[in-house]
Amino acid sequence: MREKIQIIDTQTGESVEAEIFDEVALAHFIETQAEWRPVVLAAARALSQQPNQGFLIPRHFHWDWTRKEAELKLLAVKFYGLAYEGKLQGIMKVETVAHSCRLPEQQGKPMVYIDYIESAPWNIKKLMAALGQPQRFRAVGTRLFEAAVLQSQEEGFRGRLGLHSLPGSEGFYINECGMTPVGRDPHKQNLLWCEFTPEQAERYLAGE
Amino acid sequence: MKFNKDRNWLAKRAEQEDRHFISVGGLISRIDPEWQADVSSMPNVETTKTAFVRLLQLARRERRLSLEQLAQRADVDLGELVKIESDESFKPTPRTIHQLAEFLKLPAKKLMALAGLLKIKDFGLQQASVRFAARSEPVEDVSPEEHAAFEEYVKFLNEQ
Repeated sequence: MREKIQIIDTQTGESVEAEIFDEVALAHFIETQAEWRPVVLAAARALSQQPNQGFLIPRHFHWDWTRKEAELKLLAVKFYGLAYEGKLQGIMKVETVAHSCRLPEQQGKPMVYIDYIESAPWNIKKLMAALGQPQRFRAVGTRLFEAAVLQSQEEGFRGRLGLHSLPGSEGFYINECGMTPVGRDPHKQNLLWCEFTPEQAERYLAGE
Repeated sequence: MKFNKDRNWLAKRAEQEDRHFISVGGLISRIDPEWQADVSSMPNVETTKTAFVRLLQLARRERRLSLEQLAQRADVDLGELVKIESDESFKPTPRTIHQLAEFLKLPAKKLMALAGLLKIKDFGLQQASVRFAARSEPVEDVSPEEHAAFEEYVKFLNEQ
């Protein structure tokens, strides 16, 4: 799968054509490790030194991406990349077997689970603000999230989607995306389990 | 997949995303300072880069390809290829190394390590790279000794 999509160039405010694809290779992982990570770590340090930021460090900051290569071959795992002019701008990992729905009205039903989603650091407004630099592109995470919802529909899961939100992201998934906060997961660092019903997924895609 | 093409939808979603982080999955308690060093300072980079450049040059010459022909066949940027062969301090992009590995039928991970994009943890690879760098010279004709060194090094890379 490789499709043209629009993201927003912050320099012009105009939308530009990017590509979203699921043929993620080891080279993409290396790119995130070699090019994203130093910027992310510098921004994370700057943020953690600011008072009242309460910045928590996502697990994937410390992933050894070269070890994730084996997962590229797993059928139940899919990686999506988003690139602009060949340069990687965002990456996401979803799973289709390991998790099922927890909301009472759809308990046990299959879903797409987002295990990891990340924009390149130069596309994250808060990180770039901490470094005093301008953001490059907008809506990269949005497009990846949209791909996960669309995959759920294509797999016959009707948009059912789940994830463990980090504390700093709960507002995004609950208030902006419209997911239901189901509860804290004691087996997952007490992170908040959020879920989409088919109706919520439809509303998200329609922009309601 | 039918992605939303409406500009207003995109603008609204971008606005929402900018207000938050979107991370999921799990937390770590601290950033390991040694890990950052893994990314920023690769050990033995000079030797392995020399081996990497010589390997590329010999592989190209063995196939009697010009830089332009190699760029075309491996689907990589010619300018980047020129820089790789002429400037050992140049850091190639992961995609280019991946493409070259595919074309030369070599393991991408090892080639990336040689090119300085990954930390080399394999002592055998370091030693083999030193040997190869010492035994090959970037001259026009491939000598029988160079050919033998090249063959031996490629065999080693593919074996492990």
